[in-house]
Amino acid sequence: MRTGNIRDYLYEEPGPHTRKRIRIFTGIAILGLLALLGLIIRQFSETGQFNAKYWSFFTKWTTWRFLGEGLLTTLEAALTGSAISFTLGFLLMRGKLQGKIIRGISSFLIEFTRGVPTLLFIYFFFLVVPKTGWKPSAFWKITLPCAISACGVVAEALRSGVNAVPRGQREAALSLGMSERRTFYRVVFPQAFRFVIPSLIAELVIVLKDTTFAYVVSCADLMQNAKVLISNYDAMLSIYLVVAVIYILINYLLNTLSERIAGSQRRSVRTVTEINKGAAVHG
Amino acid sequence: MGLTDLLSKYGSQYFQALLTTWRLTAVSFAGAFLIGILITVARVSPIRPLRIFGDIYVQIFRNIPGAALLILLVYALPYLQIVLPYDVCVTTATVLIPSAFCSEHLMSGMNTISPGQIEAARALGLTFLQMIRRIIIPQALRSSVLPMTNLLVATMLTTSLASQVPMRPRDLTGIVSYINTHDTGGVMAFVISAALYCLTALVIGKIGSLVDRKVRILR
Repeated sequence: MRTGNIRDYLYEEPGPHTRKRIRIFTGIAILGLLALLGLIIRQFSETGQFNAKYWSFFTKWTTWRFLGEGLLTTLEAALTGSAISFTLGFLLMRGKLQGKIIRGISSFLIEFTRGVPTLLFIYFFFLVVPKTGWKPSAFWKITLPCAISACGVVAEALRSGVNAVPRGQREAALSLGMSERRTFYRVVFPQAFRFVIPSLIAELVIVLKDTTFAYVVSCADLMQNAKVLISNYDAMLSIYLVVAVIYILINYLLNTLSERIAGSQRRSVRTVTEINKGAAVHG
Repeated sequence: MGLTDLLSKYGSQYFQALLTTWRLTAVSFAGAFLIGILITVARVSPIRPLRIFGDIYVQIFRNIPGAALLILLVYALPYLQIVLPYDVCVTTATVLIPSAFCSEHLMSGMNTISPGQIEAARALGLTFLQMIRRIIIPQALRSSVLPMTNLLVATMLTTSLASQVPMRPRDLTGIVSYINTHDTGGVMAFVISAALYCLTALVIGKIGSLVDRKVRILR
């Protein structure tokens, strides 16, 4: 069986006639895209956005250090939030395997956190939590809601990972005399965890995106520091564009990493299945 | 404030907010679906520049945080002399971001079709368009019901961006921050909105899995 992307086998090898047509359409497409690019550049230059005063401060080291500090806070919030949501998600996943009452509560919490937007959780921590007497710092006011909002998805990802572990593994461990608990932590979960690494990285991206709302609780993340730069240099468009590109690049790298890992796992799973098949044939 | 007080004072506003969230979700999802299909067509076309454009489009809107995109649209675009009303900004953001995910779901739906089917279609003498219409699209759509259901819920969650701009009428998130800054809504104000979001998500999910059970292709 041929593998790869559908784009690669959707078409027959084009003949001379089709090749000519593809060339013509390629030309038209290039012209169209160039026109679009030209339009954008014209708009920038007509409104004076290419003016050096909007871009020159990016050559200064202090600009990047300030943005970098914000980025560090963003990453810190994203990683801490992910760690918390992983812990909560793990507990919810375990809860779903317990008795009736705990299972019910866990299912409810999973559905609840999956169905409510992060912003609502953030406003909750911003507007209601301080009135209860507990006053978390700005960092926790953004990190905790992001973590809570992600934990339901993490729980479901972990559960599908546990379900993906072949049943024979669990049965073998049990018949070797291992307890349920030991079976889960020594045999099932380590394998399940490997399966879900890609979706956990994808979850990190979601938490990272959610932390952009940090300006609501005035936590000095990348977005908030960008605002300070904007008031310093009076350059809204250029700074927000650069910051958006930074976010896109980081998330792109994380997503690519997640896809790489998923791809190599698929390959290794396939190899194992083929080995098993081969063993069945030869044995 | 208790539940009854809140509902008697703000009940109609909550209802308005629910309708606003539903309307935003429906409009955004429809727009995202349409653009998602167009981008997917570009990404599988034999024309390289269009493929590259589609790929870049998806990577940009898949990876940009919603807040960053909305801020660009609301505050930065006016510097290019493009001033959009608030609701247009919000809808643009809530269309563009899900459209990228929509295209990704359609691509992976298409990728579940084995090359053998395409070879078989060709061997039977189907033209390219026949093959697209009869083999590819039905299967891609049928295997992407569940991802699309999740996308609809995700779109609903994205529409909470509307609370970040002074848009009228307010959406379900906006109303909560309004009540809690002008009045003491307390926890209850959040619970009402959260329950309305959750119920909507639950209904969408139920319908989605019903449809999926009907049309799924078992391989």
